[in-house]
Amino acid sequence: MNEEKLEKLLNELADVTEPVPPHLAEKIKHQIPQQLSPHRGGLDTVNIIIDLRISKLAAAAAIIVTMILCANFLGGRSPAGDGIYQGGKLLIKYCLGGIGADRSNVLIAKSRYEYLAQRVKDVVYYGDSVDPQDSNVVLIQWKLSDGEYRVVFGDLREKTVSAEELIRLQAQMLQKRAR
Amino acid sequence: MEYSDSSDKSEQRCNSLAARLRAGNRAAAAELVDIYYEQIYVFFRRLGHSCQVSEDLTQESFLAAWQHIGQLRSGKTLNSWMYRIAGNVSKLYWRGHKVSKAVSIEGIDVPDDGEPECDKTGHLERLGRLKNAVAELPIKLRQAVVLHYMQHLTIAEAAEAAGVRGGTFKSRLNRALKILKNHFSEDGELL
Repeated sequence: MNEEKLEKLLNELADVTEPVPPHLAEKIKHQIPQQLSPHRGGLDTVNIIIDLRISKLAAAAAIIVTMILCANFLGGRSPAGDGIYQGGKLLIKYCLGGIGADRSNVLIAKSRYEYLAQRVKDVVYYGDSVDPQDSNVVLIQWKLSDGEYRVVFGDLREKTVSAEELIRLQAQMLQKRAR
Repeated sequence: MEYSDSSDKSEQRCNSLAARLRAGNRAAAAELVDIYYEQIYVFFRRLGHSCQVSEDLTQESFLAAWQHIGQLRSGKTLNSWMYRIAGNVSKLYWRGHKVSKAVSIEGIDVPDDGEPECDKTGHLERLGRLKNAVAELPIKLRQAVVLHYMQHLTIAEAAEAAGVRGGTFKSRLNRALKILKNHFSEDGELL
């Protein structure tokens, strides 16, 4: 049998009637969810990462890089502003699930610094030279308009301190490094 | 309703439906059911699932469609998107149940076209034989034949539905036709 004839027979086979169960359409329609909404961007990103089965650390790094790029692209004037940082912080903590939390804090602080560097003057980052396991170490500092300083610690706590207190904190850091 | 034709009107309707689905419109979801539930049920039957299983898998396909509505890109891909979901649902079923033998469609009913009775009987016999031969094909080849020749998807649509490139899909079709040809003699008689 030639191919053409076989294809014709297959097409004829397609005309074979097959009864569809009654009320099938109704049964399906009853299952349409009340809120039929597509995945949101964030969830899609997480789903893609789960599908790709990449490590948690690599996933966290990918998300941070994306956030930094977004923040840079928006010229540091994003209306989401600090939300990107706060969201990233939560996401990374979730992704890393407590494993290497000190490393995750440094990663977060770094992204925070890059964000701040474009927005405020006199921002200093110490993350490359301090012990990330020390929760009281100063990771970032910047000067506020009223002459005080805002400080981000190793455990990502933030505090506004006076110039004197900042000097005291820096002195402690130097002492620890000297040891 | 056929969605494989490329008429402007049909394309516009598909695009509109896809846009409403992506926006989470429930009426559009019901419209999708009306358009596809028969096609998808018959697709499962042709793949070799029993009536009851086909019914369950049809429902499962639509549930999966609601969950992955965000992945629908445009109206143009609606057909292949729906069949891809159905194909995956079928694949998961075969995998879970480790059943490779297909259940054939009961009875072949061809409309009376005034042919002599003996010719008609011979033709029905050929169709019956072909139907069984299709049911015996390996799953991937069977899916290719069903998508293209029976569900009337274009090669591009069917390839996307099967999740392979056009060339791979054509190769599957050729292999399937080669196997099916072995069931018939050169002059089209049964072997």
